[in-house]
Amino acid sequence: MPTIEIEGRQLEVNEEGFLLHPEQWTEETAKLLAKAEEGLDELTAEHWAVVKFIRDYYLEKNLAPMVRKMCQATGFPLMKIYDLFPSGPAKGACKVAGLPKPDGCV
Amino acid sequence: MKRRKTGPSGVVAAPLDAHTQVLAKETGLPSVKDGRLRTYEPGDNVARFLDLLGKRISRPLAVSMTACVHCGLCAESCHYFLARPDDPTMTPVWKADQIRKIFKRHIDWTGRIAPWWVKAGSLHDDEDLNRLKNIVFGSCSACRRCTYNCPMGVDTGLLVRFARGVLTELGIVPEGVFNVSRDQWETGNQMAVSEQDYLETLEWMRDEVGAELGDDTVEIPVDKPDCEILYTINPREIKFDPRSIAHAAKIFHLVGESWTMPKWGWDQTNFGLFSGDDKLGAFVARNVYEAAERLRAKRIVISECGHGYRSTRWEGYTWADYEQTRPTESVVITLKRYLEEGRIAVNPARNAEPVTFHDSCNIARSGDIVEEPREVLRRVCADFREMYPNRRENFCCTGGGGLLSMAEYRPLRLEVGKLKADQLRATGAKLVCTMCHNCVDGLSDIIKHYKLPLRVVQVLELVANALVVRGASGT
Amino acid sequence: MSDLLRTLENEVQIGALAFMAVVYTVRLVWIFRFRVRRDRTFPAGREAAGAGYSLMNIAMPGAMESTRKRPGFYTQFVVFHLGVAAAIAGTLIIPYAPGLFESRPAVLAFQAIVAAALFMGLLRLVRRLTNPVLRSVSSPDDYFSLILLLLWFAAAVLALPNRPEEGEGPLILYFGLTAFFLVYVPFSKICHYLYYPFTRYYLGRSLGHRGAFPPAKDERARARRSGESRA
Repeated sequence: MPTIEIEGRQLEVNEEGFLLHPEQWTEETAKLLAKAEEGLDELTAEHWAVVKFIRDYYLEKNLAPMVRKMCQATGFPLMKIYDLFPSGPAKGACKVAGLPKPDGCV
Repeated sequence: MKRRKTGPSGVVAAPLDAHTQVLAKETGLPSVKDGRLRTYEPGDNVARFLDLLGKRISRPLAVSMTACVHCGLCAESCHYFLARPDDPTMTPVWKADQIRKIFKRHIDWTGRIAPWWVKAGSLHDDEDLNRLKNIVFGSCSACRRCTYNCPMGVDTGLLVRFARGVLTELGIVPEGVFNVSRDQWETGNQMAVSEQDYLETLEWMRDEVGAELGDDTVEIPVDKPDCEILYTINPREIKFDPRSIAHAAKIFHLVGESWTMPKWGWDQTNFGLFSGDDKLGAFVARNVYEAAERLRAKRIVISECGHGYRSTRWEGYTWADYEQTRPTESVVITLKRYLEEGRIAVNPARNAEPVTFHDSCNIARSGDIVEEPREVLRRVCADFREMYPNRRENFCCTGGGGLLSMAEYRPLRLEVGKLKADQLRATGAKLVCTMCHNCVDGLSDIIKHYKLPLRVVQVLELVANALVVRGASGT
Repeated sequence: MSDLLRTLENEVQIGALAFMAVVYTVRLVWIFRFRVRRDRTFPAGREAAGAGYSLMNIAMPGAMESTRKRPGFYTQFVVFHLGVAAAIAGTLIIPYAPGLFESRPAVLAFQAIVAAALFMGLLRLVRRLTNPVLRSVSSPDDYFSLILLLLWFAAAVLALPNRPEEGEGPLILYFGLTAFFLVYVPFSKICHYLYYPFTRYYLGRSLGHRGAFPPAKDERARARRSGESRA
């Protein structure tokens, strides 16, 4: 399995950059994924609001939340989610939150 | 073809991963229990494969099996081979031959008596079937560029879909293919979006458009009968990016269009096209056609999706044995009509960055739409430029054929995306516009992987950007 | 002319032709037993126009990128198949219209076409033996058919002057191979010309229905014009 190496740490990811072992996610992991996959050097409070919501939702329902729920929970408009995570809610935010890749042609 | 050396084969050696299939059986999913969604069973799968092959082969497919003269002209039309010129296993002729040799061995004449003479061969076990799976799902996006370049008219793209269909019947498919098929069978849409999520997202977008226009009469009607237009979308628009729904709603509102979306049968995408499963194809397409019938809509409009367009406008009627009675068109055609009739006003200066257009395989090669998006883009963009080759000679975005749902084939897909990257870079454009959601993701992956200075957009977005709003009802 | 050659030129050819006709008939019945699904959609173009355009493909090298980019390859194809036509014509002219070959220019013309085809065929054989893509898919039938065809061309070049009194060898080889081919062809890739109308018709009809065939005027030119940007 490919790994991404960043700042001396190794993270096992699948072919698309999604965390292979979602249960191993930590906030450190999020920062590493954000940097490696989204080109984000740092995560602001706004980023964290989205990531925390997604993570909590996933742990509770074992599903990726719809973007609408992300917007409702964080109060951000859709455009803001795209601003924060250039790859979008599925491939960007969910990835940073350590979720496995959502199914479907995305 | 002057190369003499042969490198290692790019065919991905992905094993059969059936754990979600096992889960589906254990949880007693209805579509599994009644046999609509097929799962892998140990046993004589080769015999089952051969039986299905014999039963399902149609005349156009049979002659595509027999007509190949091994001339090799198809090789240089395929992005897989062009990106890996030392790898004959990436050529359409080699890939088709892996299916063809089985036909020659079991159904054709000479191959049954002297198989070695015509390079006929059989499958022996599930390992062989899995290897075939990796070829027909993982080494080909069924873009039909080879079909268009074959002097004999062999349709390798169709052969690949056929082989996929037989493997799907045996559950010998990539995990992603099973999962999406399962979701579409069980929920009627590819991404398992619930009715509640669907309706709430529509309401949300209605509110957003209303707020933007300062107009509280904006509607996204659901199940409204006797409308001009039944609008159908890609579930991706609900789950991940509803902005395109907002764009469409805004335009329909400004034009004063009589339109509705259905409560059931709103998914125009169709995984049956990719998995080769005509049953699933029929089910999904029929949902749309019956929704239009139920609501007595005059025409079905399909949001921007390549395989969805091909499935709903063309293949679906045949799969479902449903005679077409109402016009079925892409939303781009609708937009073109609005522009030509002057029902919306646009200012091309609003889209100032250079834009190029990527023709999608399922829309151009397997469909009828080539000039219309260009006519729209020339009206709404200041700097439109072509990529080369284009139109029906364009190269696949590499994300076609459902490949985006198959993670195990991604590295190869990105590797052969080099052709596309070069093509994009050469245009000097900042935006690449496409009518297909899969192309959006396929191209985005390439842009990211090859670090190209481009962004992907769709026609609806560019038209919405260029809109000059004249008043509440747009006239 | 010996009795052997006379029989070979006549009865044997007719027998072999009859055999081929029977096998072809059975083959066509076999093809027609596979079903075709009816398209139930409103057309975006005309099926007949699409089918016609598709069937004309061999005469339109500019229609496909593959042949457009390789004019030499296409030329080889044309010359090779003209040679086949000439060599087949020879097997009918010699027994039934030998007067035609009493004209030296006529014989030379036929010999020239077949010799050119032989040369093109040799190039193709080299390609099939050395190109890795072709080697990965070619079967014994592919090699055998081509090699035997080249032998047939060589025999034709020598036999076309039709002088059995100067040695019957070439003529025996020529007519012998012709009879062999008539019997072998239905079981080999050589009968691809039987399938061509089917594949091209079905593809053309489907794409014609969808308005993709024939392409709109200028569509192909606009598709490939290079280096142009329009503001």
